[in-house]
Amino acid sequence: MAGLLQGEVLLPEQLADLMGLEGPLGVAVGALLGAFIVGNIMLAMTGVAGPWAKRKITAAFTDRFAVNRIGPFGLFIIVADSVRLLGKELIIPSNADRPSYDLAPIVLPASALLGFAVIPMGDLGPLNIHLADPEAGLALVFAFASIASIALVMGGYASNNKYSLMGGLRAVAQNIAYEIPLIVTAMSVVIFAGSLQMSTIVAEQGATLVSLGGIDIPAWYAFVNPFAFVLFLVANMAEIGRNPFDIPEAPTEIVAGYQTEYSSVYFVLFYLGEFLHIFLGGAIMATIFLGGPAGPVLPGFVWFVIKIWAFFLFTQWARSALPRVRIDQLIEIGWKGMLVLSFANLVLTAIIVGVIA
Amino acid sequence: MSWIAIGALALVGVAIPLAMMVVSALLRPAVPEQGKKTTYESGEIPTGSGRIQLNIQYYMVALLFVVFDIETVMIFPWAVMYRSALEAGVPLSQALLPMLLFVGILVIGLVWAWRIGAVEWTKSLRATAQKTERQNT
Repeated sequence: MAGLLQGEVLLPEQLADLMGLEGPLGVAVGALLGAFIVGNIMLAMTGVAGPWAKRKITAAFTDRFAVNRIGPFGLFIIVADSVRLLGKELIIPSNADRPSYDLAPIVLPASALLGFAVIPMGDLGPLNIHLADPEAGLALVFAFASIASIALVMGGYASNNKYSLMGGLRAVAQNIAYEIPLIVTAMSVVIFAGSLQMSTIVAEQGATLVSLGGIDIPAWYAFVNPFAFVLFLVANMAEIGRNPFDIPEAPTEIVAGYQTEYSSVYFVLFYLGEFLHIFLGGAIMATIFLGGPAGPVLPGFVWFVIKIWAFFLFTQWARSALPRVRIDQLIEIGWKGMLVLSFANLVLTAIIVGVIA
Repeated sequence: MSWIAIGALALVGVAIPLAMMVVSALLRPAVPEQGKKTTYESGEIPTGSGRIQLNIQYYMVALLFVVFDIETVMIFPWAVMYRSALEAGVPLSQALLPMLLFVGILVIGLVWAWRIGAVEWTKSLRATAQKTERQNT
């Protein structure tokens, strides 16, 4: 309700109004068009991130050149690579478990994309890029994000490859070890916000924390509770399977894990799903810790993009700088370290809020 | 209204991969050969099926996960209500203590699981033996 009280109109309604459609037709067309816009924004970002930015960033970190032949800064490699990858022959391993083998590359990107439905992406001109704002927004986004591990298990099992099977099982081990710290840490933020609704969480962060020399520092939960921010960052990296927690893929141990046997468009879809997940992780962090689309001067949407790209840059930095943990270390960090710390964080936050309030 | 938009994004989310599959099907060549279809096993001819029996190691951890996952679901409504309850004048002993007790019981469970070694990666006897051999030489 809070979102409605602030008079915030969501993207589907705005689109329906713009086209002058009313009633059920307006609702359906607005929702579909809005979903199409949000889906394509995220696809465009993964398109830039996957074939181009990832290579450029890794090259910069390791003092090498990366793609620089086609177009300005090598940007047209995005087009060249998409054509190259889509035009490759699709090789399906013998004895692959067919329905599951074909469904996994659909489920992974779809689950990641679905998470963006409840993320407030801020204003862009007259449009408010925010598809849906249900009261259980935060719970929903975690639910959607964790569908991904089903896709990884499906792909891993169906490939009829031992490395793939291990990769899928590792993905589950990782997911169950870090899901709970992730959500419990998010709960310590919900204590401050008093709501699971994304628009309310963002609005609550708009208050001023302190004023330093005339500049108002907003009450972003990263500033209010930096300990939770760091915990959430680590758990998030593990949840989306990025370095140093990328053991489901672990190229030096199990080739490429669950995606070993995937080629052509199926490989593209797996890759796409992974990048969408990085951006979804960044979007969750931006929304509940970094004030969502809030920021000075620039439009909200630009700030949102800057924040999720900052998270993407951070994952790539970790990829270049940190060694991968072993699977046994991963389980121990998750269950002995993160779980205990996240509960300590929750209890301490509750006590501090209780004593001050 | 919200749910229609979420459903629309689910449709788009499935339609985009399907569209990419269709485009790829139009573009790509198909030259089926038996040799291509073997699974990758470090360049060797694969031995047996890919669906092997292995110790997945985290059976106990998965059981723990179920317990803690339900706990987090229980924490959700409490976290949402907590501050407004305090502001409405509910004393701390009623708003916070039951939650601490609830978390405390589960922490005791975690301590027990920790002590019996459920949250540790089982080391195979052979690997341990080899490790001590290497250290001794």
